[in-house]
Amino acid sequence: MRLKLIILLGMVPLLFVQSALALTDAEFRKLHRELQPDPKATWRTIPWKTSVLDAQAAAAREGKPIFIWAMDGHPLGCT
Amino acid sequence: MLDRESTFANPTIVKLLQTRFIPVAIDQAYQRRQKDNEGRFYQKIANQGPRKIGRGTTQGLYTADASGKLLDFTNNRGADRVLRMINGSLEKHRPVKITAIGKGTPDTQYNPKPPKGGLVVRVTSKILDGYQEPENEFRRIFQQSLGRDNLWISANEHTALARGQLSKSLLKRLARFHLVDNTRGEPPMWRENEILKLEGKITNGQLRTTVQLKTAKGDRGYEAKLLGYVETKSGKVTRLDIVANGQFWGEGPYTRNAPKGRFPLAIAFTLADGKDTADTIPPQASRGWVQGYVR
Repeated sequence: MRLKLIILLGMVPLLFVQSALALTDAEFRKLHRELQPDPKATWRTIPWKTSVLDAQAAAAREGKPIFIWAMDGHPLGCT
Repeated sequence: MLDRESTFANPTIVKLLQTRFIPVAIDQAYQRRQKDNEGRFYQKIANQGPRKIGRGTTQGLYTADASGKLLDFTNNRGADRVLRMINGSLEKHRPVKITAIGKGTPDTQYNPKPPKGGLVVRVTSKILDGYQEPENEFRRIFQQSLGRDNLWISANEHTALARGQLSKSLLKRLARFHLVDNTRGEPPMWRENEILKLEGKITNGQLRTTVQLKTAKGDRGYEAKLLGYVETKSGKVTRLDIVANGQFWGEGPYTRNAPKGRFPLAIAFTLADGKDTADTIPPQASRGWVQGYVR
């Protein structure tokens, strides 16, 4: 009995490590859903162009000023 | 991501940008180097501000008219400051009679296109736990942010995927350039010799991969398992969903303030449908050297 208990207790850390590293189908679905960007995020409602020449053409056509969001790393992606 | 959740979450700023401006978002590391009309137009505007071309980053917010005359610049992201800049620019602005500048011959080094016959995959990342209570709202935004990048897959790799095979080149690119913590800024990528373990295969449409990445000094690493699903139709991949989940540690020069010690980082991959403007953005790791990225 004591031997069985020792063996079982010895397996606890191993089971914990396995559980921490394994990725189940349920975890996959939960995380995949959780990591999708919010399509209704306010900043996404701004009609961003990704080329300053496209912006220049639109500004010339519509008589509007250009607003440039210039970052290190693309602001719509990284950073 | 700070700007997305602060400046561009302000309803007045958003409304003005939607209706009174032509808004454009760029990674200025391209435009400030580009030797073509796109680069020259941006450089003309940036050179009228405090951050000149050739002296490092020109990061910031600019307003200009269609001729390229600078109206205002700020690198302050406070909503009040940006709103003052926007309103001041509207007061200054006078429409100019000018035609559209032609694209001319693009600088190929800074105009990478997704591989023909290949795939574009959205990559998002999130730290699931481990941060301490933030000192302020800006820090909280970083702690809750979602990193975003694109993974490019070549035509050959696409063909192999459609046959149920995971190319070594794809697996290595995915690990080196996309299993990174980009939730607080531009992340350091992994060198080839920092891949300690990388095993993966597809069985009956299910992708399973194990990866161990670690710097030589051991100050940054990621140990993760990946699970994914691949579906195909008529020789083309129609679904590619993958999740990486594991323990990350460390940070880079531009991703400071990571959680202490090891922390859970999850990364999701989803086939892009081209409906998101961000789907057109080249992968962060391809900047200036797309041949080194897709090889």
